[in-house]
Amino acid sequence: MTGAGTSRASSPWREDSSSSEYEHLAPLFDELAATSEDDPRRAELRDQLVTGHLPLAEHIAIRFSHRGVPREDLVQVATVGLINAVDRFEPDRGSDFLSFAVPTIMGEVRRHFRDASWSMRVPRRLKELNLAISAASGELAQRLGRAPTPSEIARHLDLSLEEVYEGLEAGNAYHSVSLDEALSADSDSDPLADTLGEEDAGLEGVENHESLRPLIEQLPERERQILKLRFFLNMTQTQIAERVGISQMHVSRLLARTLEQLRAGLLDTPRDDEPR
Amino acid sequence: MRVSESAIGEDAGTGSVIDPNGIELRLPARLEHLPIIRSVAANLAIRADFDLDSIADLKLAVDEACSTVITRAVRGATLSCVFIVNPDEIRFSAVAPSTGGHEPSSDSFGWRVLTTLTDHVAAWVEQGEVTRDGKGLLVHIELTKRKTSGA
Repeated sequence: MTGAGTSRASSPWREDSSSSEYEHLAPLFDELAATSEDDPRRAELRDQLVTGHLPLAEHIAIRFSHRGVPREDLVQVATVGLINAVDRFEPDRGSDFLSFAVPTIMGEVRRHFRDASWSMRVPRRLKELNLAISAASGELAQRLGRAPTPSEIARHLDLSLEEVYEGLEAGNAYHSVSLDEALSADSDSDPLADTLGEEDAGLEGVENHESLRPLIEQLPERERQILKLRFFLNMTQTQIAERVGISQMHVSRLLARTLEQLRAGLLDTPRDDEPR
Repeated sequence: MRVSESAIGEDAGTGSVIDPNGIELRLPARLEHLPIIRSVAANLAIRADFDLDSIADLKLAVDEACSTVITRAVRGATLSCVFIVNPDEIRFSAVAPSTGGHEPSSDSFGWRVLTTLTDHVAAWVEQGEVTRDGKGLLVHIELTKRKTSGA
C-alpha cells in the first residue's frame, strides 16, 4: 500500500486519477444542480459525490505526507476541501470537476500546513502579516539588490513599523522547515543541479574535517547546497534565496536547522582540543 | 557610546548591567534555552532596523556562540549574555564557567560559521574568581554585527 501510494502520489494526479476513474460521477453533478434546495435527494447525491471522489482527496493528502503532519489529519483536511469543492462546483460553467477540485483541495491542505506550522498560538492576523512581509521582502530584494530593512518593508506595504516588527517576530514562532516546503508553490523541481565540487576544498583546514564531512554528506541536497553557498562561497541569504527559488525566511530556517544538526553530530564525536 | 573590550566581559561575569544600551540575560547554561536568546537577538536587530539578512545572520551567530559556550560550560553553570545596541552595530557577548582551559578553536567549522556571519568575533578563556571546583575558568565569546551599508 505504501509503495503504490507513494509512487502514485509523486506522479501528477491529474493524469493518474484520470477522468475515467470518476467519469461515472459526472452526471450526478448535473442532477445535483437540477435538484431543489429542500429535496432530500440532494444530501444523497452530495454523499455519493463526496464518497466517489474520496480517492482524489487521499492522493493529494499522500502527496503532502512525510512533512510532519499525520497522514490521517491530511486526509481529513483534504476531505473537507473535497466537500467544499463538491458544494461550490457549478457544472454549467463548462470546466470539469477535477480541474476545479484539485486546486480547491490543495488550497485547503496548504492552509492547514500554514496553520499547523506555527509552533505557538499565533493569531491569524500575524501569520498573514508574516507571509505578506516574506513576499514583500522578496520583491524589495529584487529591486534593491540586497535584503530590505523593516522600515523599507513598512513603507512598501504601507504598514506601521510596529506592525512590521510584530509580523517579523511572529516568524520566530514558526519553526517547521518541512512545512515550509509544503507551502512552496512546487518544490519538486531541482534548481540546484549544478553541484559544485568546492565542498572538500572548503573543508580543507577545518580541524574536524573528518567528522564533519560525513555529516555534511548526510544532509539533503538542498541543505548541503545552502550551507555551501553561505559558508564556503559567502553568499547572503537573500542571494541564496533567489538562486534556490525559495524565500529568504525559508533559507534562514533551513540554515538554522542544518547548523543545529551539524553541532549535534559533532558533539557525538570526540574533540581532540580539550580533555574530557 | 564606546565600551571598552574588557568591560563587556567583566560585567557579564558579575551580572551588573554596565551600559545604557546594554541588555543582559542570565540563564542556566543549557541548550534548551537557546530559543530565548535567539529571539532577543532577533528582536533587537529588527528594532535597530537591520536588514533581513543581517537579522538572520545575527540570530544564527548568537545561536552558534551560545552553543559553543554552553557545551564547554560546567554542569549547572549560569550563562550570561550581554547585548549592546549601538546605532550602527550590535555587540554580543556570552560567558560561562568553563570545564577546560582552551578557547574554542579558530580552525573549527563553528568558527568558520561565526566569522562568516559576523564582522568581528573573539573567543578566550580567562581565570575568574576561583569557585568550588577549584578552577574558576570562564569561557567567553564576543561578536559584533554591523548594519550593512546602504540599508
